[in-house]
Amino acid sequence: MKSVLYYIKEFARREWFSKFFTARTAPLESPPYFRDFPVLSGKTCTHSLFCMMACPAPGAIDVLRTPQGWQPRIHKGHCIRCGLCVEACPNGVLTSGRILDSTGRDGTALSFSFKIRVDPELCMGCGNCAVACPVNKVIDTQMSHGGRASNEGLLLRVNEGKCLVVHEEKCTGCKTCEHHCPNEAITVARLLEAVQAGEEMQ
Amino acid sequence: MTLLQSIKNYVRSKSIHVSYVDVGSCNGCDIEVLACLAPRYDIEQYGIYVHNNPREADILLVIGAYTPGWEEKLEMVWNKIPEPKVAIAIGNCPISGCLFNRPHTYIDPPVSKHIPIAASVPGCPPRPTEILNAVLSLAPVVFKDYEVKKR
Repeated sequence: MKSVLYYIKEFARREWFSKFFTARTAPLESPPYFRDFPVLSGKTCTHSLFCMMACPAPGAIDVLRTPQGWQPRIHKGHCIRCGLCVEACPNGVLTSGRILDSTGRDGTALSFSFKIRVDPELCMGCGNCAVACPVNKVIDTQMSHGGRASNEGLLLRVNEGKCLVVHEEKCTGCKTCEHHCPNEAITVARLLEAVQAGEEMQ
Repeated sequence: MTLLQSIKNYVRSKSIHVSYVDVGSCNGCDIEVLACLAPRYDIEQYGIYVHNNPREADILLVIGAYTPGWEEKLEMVWNKIPEPKVAIAIGNCPISGCLFNRPHTYIDPPVSKHIPIAASVPGCPPRPTEILNAVLSLAPVVFKDYEVKKR
């Protein structure tokens, strides 16, 4: 009898009962390494738009001009948190989880390259592509109607009645030439490659 | 506020009945909702009960991008829920259509065009924690003083 009383006194405590009936864990929080919606890391955006080119979800990312300069903006409800924009950005403007840490440690990156193809049977040599190209506009501000210019540094120019791609490596992948071609003769392919620094050295 | 009303407020914040409907998703968000039921997240400890019958529910979790098969049917489900009721859009699909919202598809997002949506949880898919927090933060607010507001 004495031992029963002892047990009741020892174990039937108020805290035990209150915990027994109201036990509940606080809702779990996302861990710090969770790849959440990308946020600005504070670095300067150079408006290369690789984030928008890499994004697989329609309408998820825009690069807007703000008083502080160009800024990428993520649209919740469209973004699928894949993190490709974070990896594709050459400047590390966006950050999410530990993507930037792991890409910095392993030396991995997503690199874009652009291939311009001109169909010689469709091309009429009108020069709209060469005149519209924003890279050409910087190199030769005096470029005339028709796209015939003697400057050797141009990306595109018209040579002997056909469009000629001179410096493909200067292409920024904006596809302005594609949109201005009346005959759908010129196409720009955006190639996205995953590269690792160690592999290139071998 | 009467004593009866305060009791109702307390009970409604501690006992939330949820029903979910998939209006054409990829099943990713369904799995996240089901993960809420599993021991790791365990929504029943917060007083959230899941039913398959909308007549027993207070909150409708809408998942998916609204395919043509759900025209009129989703509204039928919504009308079956007794007042007070709210609907929560889970995932990107009911908000924007997400990856399915491309040219030449038949989906018709957002779901808020068809039934009133009180809150939305973005993500593809959202974490179970985010779903849980949305339900827990919404329910006491929208169900509070329901009889007083109705008058």
